[in-house]
Amino acid sequence: MHIPDGYLSPSTCAALYASAGVGWYAALRRVKCVFTTRLIPLISVFAAFSFVLMMFNLPLPGGTTGHAIGVTIASIILGPSGAILSISIAVAIQALFFGDGGITTLGANCFNMAIVGSLMAYVTYRLVAAGAAISSRRRVVAAAIAGYLAANTAAFVAAVEFGIQPLFFHNARGVPLYAPYPLSVAIPAMMIGHLAVAGIAEAVIAAGLVAYLQVADPLLLGNTSGLSDSATSTPVFVPQKSLRKLWLTVALLMLLTPLGILAGGTAWGEWSMSQVSAAADQKAIPTTSHDQAQPSSPPAGLQRLCSLWTAPIPNYAPEFVKSPRFGYLLSAMFGVGMLMAFSLVIQRILQRRRTAGQP
Amino acid sequence: MTAPIFEAKQVSFSYEAIPALRDLSLSMEAGRSLALVGANGSGKSTLLRLLDALCFPSSGSISFSGNPLTPERLRADGYDLWFRRRVALLFQNPDVQLFNPTVFDEVAFGPLQLGWASTEVIARVNSMLETMDISHLRDRAPYRLSAGEKKRVALASVIVLDPEVLLLDEPTSMLDPRSQSQLIDLVQNWKGTSKTVITSTHQLEIVEDIAERVVVLEQGSVAADGTPSEILSNGELLLRANLVHAHRHKHGDMVHSHPHLHSHARHEH
Amino acid sequence: MRRHDTIAATLLSLTHAFGTALVSEQVARRPGLLQAFDPRVRVIGLFALVLAVILSHRISVIVALFVVAVLLAVLSQVNLKSLAIRVWLMVLLFTSVIALPSVFLTPGDPIVTFPAGALHITAQGVTTAVLLITRVETATPWMQILKALRAFRIPQEVVMMLAMTHRYIFLLAETAAQMFESRQSRTVGVIAHSAARHMTTRTGGVLLSKSVELSNDVFLAMQSRGFRGDAKTLSEFRMRSLDYIGLLSFLLVGVVAVWVGRA
Repeated sequence: MHIPDGYLSPSTCAALYASAGVGWYAALRRVKCVFTTRLIPLISVFAAFSFVLMMFNLPLPGGTTGHAIGVTIASIILGPSGAILSISIAVAIQALFFGDGGITTLGANCFNMAIVGSLMAYVTYRLVAAGAAISSRRRVVAAAIAGYLAANTAAFVAAVEFGIQPLFFHNARGVPLYAPYPLSVAIPAMMIGHLAVAGIAEAVIAAGLVAYLQVADPLLLGNTSGLSDSATSTPVFVPQKSLRKLWLTVALLMLLTPLGILAGGTAWGEWSMSQVSAAADQKAIPTTSHDQAQPSSPPAGLQRLCSLWTAPIPNYAPEFVKSPRFGYLLSAMFGVGMLMAFSLVIQRILQRRRTAGQP
Repeated sequence: MTAPIFEAKQVSFSYEAIPALRDLSLSMEAGRSLALVGANGSGKSTLLRLLDALCFPSSGSISFSGNPLTPERLRADGYDLWFRRRVALLFQNPDVQLFNPTVFDEVAFGPLQLGWASTEVIARVNSMLETMDISHLRDRAPYRLSAGEKKRVALASVIVLDPEVLLLDEPTSMLDPRSQSQLIDLVQNWKGTSKTVITSTHQLEIVEDIAERVVVLEQGSVAADGTPSEILSNGELLLRANLVHAHRHKHGDMVHSHPHLHSHARHEH
Repeated sequence: MRRHDTIAATLLSLTHAFGTALVSEQVARRPGLLQAFDPRVRVIGLFALVLAVILSHRISVIVALFVVAVLLAVLSQVNLKSLAIRVWLMVLLFTSVIALPSVFLTPGDPIVTFPAGALHITAQGVTTAVLLITRVETATPWMQILKALRAFRIPQEVVMMLAMTHRYIFLLAETAAQMFESRQSRTVGVIAHSAARHMTTRTGGVLLSKSVELSNDVFLAMQSRGFRGDAKTLSEFRMRSLDYIGLLSFLLVGVVAVWVGRA
């Protein structure tokens, strides 16, 4: 699932770098708080462990073999912030040193696997394992489900990133400039592999490692158990209710983004200058506006506002920015990133409130 | 009589539920060399880590030059930096101590953390690399070093600060015979200087070379404390502390059993 | 049905990591053109070239950059044959992972069409090739990448974590390899599928325990040498005139390529 250079347009890369950057910043702040001086050796060695784990060729039920990412077990042991950092570091080293995965797409890869993956894994694990004793079988099952969902969500987001490339980024003759396959091909292509193989690998590893730790070192599972009587320090993560709402919102947002694009046409009111003038849209606009005919020339106000928005953007990428669909995508991606950062901030506030309330 | 440099009084320490040290008391004079012997699990490594203030006893106390080693004391007015400069610990597993990208960075780590100026750090590191004969390894990554080279780099990174106290945790483990004897030579050089050296080992044959005093640990407490000759001749003690094994062989019809100190290759009696 | 030996495959991946590390270190040490530059220049140059390729919409520009990349490879003494194999393998590998046809059948602007009719080398294919070549030949020694990152104001903790992770990857890979090897040496033939799964997850578990223990010990070792949370480092590079020339050249090539190649 590591996207190489050249398959995502610079604007997509930039947007995803920005989203990843928000996630990294929030995670780093958080982990520094929780782990203090231990941060560097803990995250580093865990990242090294994840890296090596990614190399395991894992035989799966059904006869296939696959590779896990390791994001689920990282989330379960370190919590989502620690996992975001560890997996991002592992992915960065793969790209910088081993040449796996691109460097312009590093933001995207980290966003998909480390950020989306770890939040998905953590939320699912906490929801399914809620309240169960550390040694209970439910935790193993929770880990498996979390792993499966995390891997597939990450793959889905990657597929969406691929699939929208030909839609937005093509030359005048309509030939795609970057990844050439539309959503209708990209999504099934990516998802089949992950639903059938890679997701299972992630589930198997997560479940297997949790089962192992239940026997060998149960304290490591205490950090994210959410149990108040665990021997480790007070739980530092958000209670389930707000997590559930958050998870639903994020999921909804992510689902809506491709649907919004696939729906075709543009959101009412979000027309750009070129669209208002283009013949095809001229037909569409009246039908969505209750059949009121469109003025024959673009409204002057719209003209002025349009130039205001595009003026500061440098010349080398003008048409991308003017497209409303790109704007929609950009805001959706940013929104997801913002929400995730927001959730981490909320966690911190709630934790501070909780420790303040304790003697 | 000068105050002891280390004073451990009835120290107990456990890893989770497993006790490692029980009610251990020990006093160490400055400028002396001590060999801490005991079987695996007797508490040697734990004691050294406590002496280096990396962990703290659950009961009892440890003091360094009269200062109690507690988390609070270390946090107060930079005492920890003062302490870290003076006391150095060589870990048994060198990989744990080689966490920097290159050998040069590794040796430079300690001085940098203690706030030395860049120029001084570079000069000191270069001279240290020369002394330990590892200059040719300066840009090497730690995963490309042999076991002996790793030990030398680890040692260099620890003595670059010129500490007063050296705590060596099984320094000869995992080394080939030649590297072992080189290391023993180094430790011998410190014997008799003003440096305080505490070496833990389970290899009895090197004890006489490296120390004037031997303390035997057994299941987390001091079982014996004396000169090398006193301790090494006490076969019963050594057997009980699991430092030697009884070797049985026959002379004719007689079964001969005695504690076995030396390697099986050379056996004289 | 021949059973797939997953343990052997895992061992191969693990040892492959060392191989890659050694190769890139070797390239980085050769006295070629690129190796002479300050690592910051190399990193910027790498980025500039990659961006230029991505931003260019004209085939002619991409092909020109392809020529530039190959030229740099030659001047930097990169082994061309193995490079060519790796490049095509990578491209084919990736497209097969996402279940797409090979680079030759990628829909896109055909540059060259073979008489057989079904194959054309596309702009996408060439782009990918250029990108991969550029990545390999500007291979900077890891240490210098780290120092360059620091110079680019990446937070010190992050650089330290990257360095430490890299260092311990090899240790953990070796540990894992030893565990797999010892198991493999005790078995005749290929281990059954589900047994191999249990064995692999169990090895993962043991590796996890060792990793946690390692991180605790490293933490103690760091503290023992005065680490208190904020790592201090030595001051870094100075740019020479050669570096400025190199930097300007990279940027110039990049800007020209983007400008000429804009759609």
